[in-house]
Amino acid sequence: MYLIKKRYITLLTVIILAFGTGIPVVKASVDQRSYNYSYWADAVPAPPAYQAVRIIDGDRLGIEPLSEPNDFHVSTDRTIYVADTGNNRIIILNETFNVVDVIESFFIEESKETFSSPQGIFVNDEHHVFIADTGNNRVVHLDANFDLIKIVEQPESELLSDNFTFRPLKVAVDYAGRLFVMADGVFDGFMEFSVDGYFTTFIGANRVRVDPIEYLWKRFATREQRSQMVNYVPTEFTSLDVNQQGFLYATNVDNSDDVIKKINARGDDILRREGYFSPIGDVRYTETDGASRLIDISVADYEIYSVLDSRKGRIFTYNGDGHLLYVFGGIGNRLGEFHTPIAIERYDDYFLVLDRELGEITIFTATIYGQTLNEAVRSYEQGDEDLAHQLFEEVVNMNVNLEFAYTGIGKALLQQDQYEKAMHNFEQSLDQNNYSKAYLLYRNRLLRDHFTVIMSTILGAITIITIIVVYRKIAKRKRRVLVEQ
Amino acid sequence: MNSDNIKYPFHLTTHPFQGFWDLKYERNTRIDLTISFFILLSLMVTNVLSNQYAGFIVNIYNPEEMNSLMEIVYVLIPVLFWCTANWSLTTLMDGEGKFVEIFIATCFALVPLVMINFPWIWLSNFISMQEAMFYYLSQSFAVIWFFFLIFVGNMTVHQYTPSKTVGTIVLTIIAMGFIAFLCLLFFSLIQQIIAFFSVIYQEIVFRY
Repeated sequence: MYLIKKRYITLLTVIILAFGTGIPVVKASVDQRSYNYSYWADAVPAPPAYQAVRIIDGDRLGIEPLSEPNDFHVSTDRTIYVADTGNNRIIILNETFNVVDVIESFFIEESKETFSSPQGIFVNDEHHVFIADTGNNRVVHLDANFDLIKIVEQPESELLSDNFTFRPLKVAVDYAGRLFVMADGVFDGFMEFSVDGYFTTFIGANRVRVDPIEYLWKRFATREQRSQMVNYVPTEFTSLDVNQQGFLYATNVDNSDDVIKKINARGDDILRREGYFSPIGDVRYTETDGASRLIDISVADYEIYSVLDSRKGRIFTYNGDGHLLYVFGGIGNRLGEFHTPIAIERYDDYFLVLDRELGEITIFTATIYGQTLNEAVRSYEQGDEDLAHQLFEEVVNMNVNLEFAYTGIGKALLQQDQYEKAMHNFEQSLDQNNYSKAYLLYRNRLLRDHFTVIMSTILGAITIITIIVVYRKIAKRKRRVLVEQ
Repeated sequence: MNSDNIKYPFHLTTHPFQGFWDLKYERNTRIDLTISFFILLSLMVTNVLSNQYAGFIVNIYNPEEMNSLMEIVYVLIPVLFWCTANWSLTTLMDGEGKFVEIFIATCFALVPLVMINFPWIWLSNFISMQEAMFYYLSQSFAVIWFFFLIFVGNMTVHQYTPSKTVGTIVLTIIAMGFIAFLCLLFFSLIQQIIAFFSVIYQEIVFRY
């Protein structure tokens, strides 16, 4: 009896052990808000790429609460400059998110000057600070010690109308020191200023979009009626950023395919749109919600850029080719959600989001998935195909829905002459062009390898057919001869 | 069915005037009707297969939206609509064709669509992006050939002049639109009637 009982217990233990190890580990925080778009424009689940870790606001920083901050910028040494618009000051935080300095004024030849609702801020590689001092109608250029270098005030030019008032909203400076200003009520693009602060030209105007029905109405309207109608004007930009090479990245709310633009020195849009969809934020949206309203852009290293959708509070990140990498954020009350997101900044594996009404900054860090994907895109962009291959494999293991990652794997396999595997991967990413390239190489190799077999089969077939034809002819002739006899 | 009957559809596609004439006046209608159904079936099979098995270069399909039954409907419904519309019009326009003859002529005109597209299902797996041009070229060629055969078939079946045939074809297409509209109307009315009676039934059931 005792023995039997003991045996039962052993059996039970074995069963528990066997099944116990088989129970899948429940993954913490499966973020339902994280998604991506498939080739068929379906929103498919994706693992979260970034997770909110902390919120910082005035109280936690030990200063007066922020009041309607509008913009911030992270310099190359990870110092954060916040334009606290409502309090007319600039707050400077170090990389551990502690206050280093608060600038409320600067000196113009001994006389103290203050800011008036500064809306935009930019810091260049030499830590010079450029502030769009909106209320004072000027752009202030300070050096690393916050001493004045120059002030850009209302420009005089024949390109500008007489009643134009200069209200700078956002600023950006390229490596050559050219200053780009997004000003209120300017429809001709960004205002470009030379290093000395002289207005040179407008750059990158949005094209006028004409509603065909409205155009037809205008054709039939009288001159008086027409003057009452709204004029067609190009849409204004909503934000700008500059990358290392000096290309301007800009967003607008045009409701078209080019809401994001990469503008070169000539003012042409050179953004690559080779993803399954143009980078426009949400691909699917309801008519009542409307398309994504992109209000800020942050371009990071290796052509990766992120845009902020103020309507849904989501942040979309794309690679240089225009493939959607990941989406996160949202409007709400939980950590990682916002009330009125106004600006984003992206550096290393961090992501900062500035909330205007709440006056707080949410800090995100990349998850393992996000880090791997970032690293994969970076190494791919650098041309390190082997590392990219390996990292994309890891990414795909974490998220099979990320279709464009298979293109990355396929291209690496193509380099290694593994055509058949490459073809399979291109089929996964529905990339016909690359599939075709891989297939041509594969077919050529196949034909070359089996050349002797193929050629001898063809030659053999030709010989046999000729023999049969000749034999038949001879047989026919013989028969005829026989008949004639 | 002897080998002559198998060869006949191919003979007709290359000699349409002679072919359609024989179809109307010389040949056995019963056999031709059998061949017609066979052609229709092979077109359905071709379409279903090409949806699934044509090469990746020319065919990206969404497995979630693929429905072979719908492919069959896409062949059957247009053919039936065409025949009905054509017959309804030509009886009023001194056409000599009977419904069976119209149906047979239409089905025989579909032969190029099968003849060209079927081998391409297999062949398209062995082409590159540049060679895909030939695929699309032969697809368009098949469609043009099909239209030509429809034209000749219609002309022969009804003994029309070419200009009258063109007019009839245009009117037939308009009539097809009317038929489609009437069908939709009919089904939506039927649906509402059914809904009406089911609601009455429910009311009665709830009351007693």
